Amino acid sequence: MAEQNQGRALRAARRGGSHVAHAKPASVTSQLSASLPVLEVDDIPQNMGSPVITFDHVTKIYPAQPNRPALNDISVQIYAGEFVFLVGHSGSGKSTFIRMLIREVKPTEGHIYIADEDLTTMRNWRVPYLRRNIGCVFQDFKLLPNKTVFENVAFALEVIGKSKHVIKTQVPEVLRLVGLQDKLNKLPDQLSGGEQQRVSIARAIVNRPPMLVCDEPTGNLDPQTSRGIMDLLERINRTGTTVLVATHDREMVDNMRRRVIALDRGYLTRDQDRGVYGFDA
Amino acid sequence: MRSFAYFLRESLRGFTRNLSTTLGSIVTIFLSLLLIGVFLVFGFIVENVMSSVEDEVSIAAYVSDDITEETVTEIEDYVSGLEGVASVSFTTKEQALENFSESNSTGIIEALDGQNPLPASIDVELADPQLVGEVAGKIESYPAFAQNCGYDTPNESIVYGQESVKQLFSLTNYVRYIGVALIALLIFIAFVFINNTIRLAILARRKEIAIMRLVGASNGFIRGPFLMEGALHAVLGAALAVLCLELARNMLLPRIAGALKFLAIDIQFQTFLIIYLALLVSGLLIGLLGSALAMRRYLKV
Repeated sequence: MAEQNQGRALRAARRGGSHVAHAKPASVTSQLSASLPVLEVDDIPQNMGSPVITFDHVTKIYPAQPNRPALNDISVQIYAGEFVFLVGHSGSGKSTFIRMLIREVKPTEGHIYIADEDLTTMRNWRVPYLRRNIGCVFQDFKLLPNKTVFENVAFALEVIGKSKHVIKTQVPEVLRLVGLQDKLNKLPDQLSGGEQQRVSIARAIVNRPPMLVCDEPTGNLDPQTSRGIMDLLERINRTGTTVLVATHDREMVDNMRRRVIALDRGYLTRDQDRGVYGFDA
Repeated sequence: MRSFAYFLRESLRGFTRNLSTTLGSIVTIFLSLLLIGVFLVFGFIVENVMSSVEDEVSIAAYVSDDITEETVTEIEDYVSGLEGVASVSFTTKEQALENFSESNSTGIIEALDGQNPLPASIDVELADPQLVGEVAGKIESYPAFAQNCGYDTPNESIVYGQESVKQLFSLTNYVRYIGVALIALLIFIAFVFINNTIRLAILARRKEIAIMRLVGASNGFIRGPFLMEGALHAVLGAALAVLCLELARNMLLPRIAGALKFLAIDIQFQTFLIIYLALLVSGLLIGLLGSALAMRRYLKV
């Protein structure tokens, strides 16, 4: 525990440097500026002030496995604009971590704060408003098979009560951003796995949430397609969106050299800036 | 308002998705509401008849065919002296037949072949309907009447409104109990049907609901289409029931009134309007409650 805290302090000290890397290449900026709110480098909170996500000694015990906590005394802070990998084997608690972020499950002990709001005491009716601020991407895409690409993305805006006008302008923009501007009227079946995942990312960010959470976004995809998806996530991150990616894609994590939070059987084993995957295969 | 349109669109799509269960729930609501409506109309008719009977509380003391005129005047004199009596008159056999033919179809008279089975009667109008039992008792025990009564005993020969009101009451009470039990059963079935239809609709849209929750659709927005679907089923069923009742009012009721002229069946259109409104409202309640119940059980938000 003490070691971890120390690590965090060190990281905080280094952080000023680490975010210089977030300065945007001009070409990307121009491409994105139309569709996403762009923060100047100075505007990106440099991990000072309050973090967007705080796990405060969080323990989760599922009733089915009372003796084996899914997460055990996890304390983590994630700041606005960070790109964080959450790594670990199957059953290490990655998905539980993510499900707690969108308050699909509540922690057994401890507190989770998102932007100063305590999820453990949040009223049920407020949960939808929390989720509007967190885009979610999953391994299985979760697209509606009877709706076209456009409709699938529009659905996310429709059901939170956005006007037709907003849908008409925002959906094509976000689909252009993910590179699917030519496939608006295709059905999910007619797309490749990578394209389907792009649709699901488009749906997650169409409402311009400040945070994007991905659970194994490349789990079903080949390495090259995965690379494309990761590039896309990185571009989204450069616009100021905090991105959290749970993965066990070793190559990806090692290549990208971002902050890595490693979980092993419910324990936080490592929290490293510019880290690598680190587990032996 | 926009989301209202969305709810409507979505719930209409639910109609085509589960056509058979949708029709099932509409038909059960329709039948139960129709039955409720019929019972309500029936109740109003009975009430109408009873109040018309009560209004004209009179005593008919039937006398034997061979009563002399002197005896009649004697009884008349005695009765008009009683407390609470407004007027006394004598109806001969011929007049009785005439009165009867006025309020009944001619077929019955023709079937009599010129015979006249109706007895003559001394008719007593009362000033105070409350005293009807007392006056009837006094006439009954009056010796001149007792010797010349139209039927076997003096008691049988005296007929007054109160009695038919009582009989009507006991009849309508039975009808009411059966009706309430039947309606309760039908409402329960309608409830189960709506519950089931909405459950199927929820299952059919499981994936959509999961995504809606993921992207932060509010609970009301997720529930809206299902509530709307339940309400639509109920309103459609209620509308069908109202339509049937309205048809019955226009086509069946005049015939019944024609066949049973002695009953005051006339019901004002306003009364029907109230019944229709009650049916629509109760249908809506059944629909909303049924779908709300289904959502509580199958739609964890």
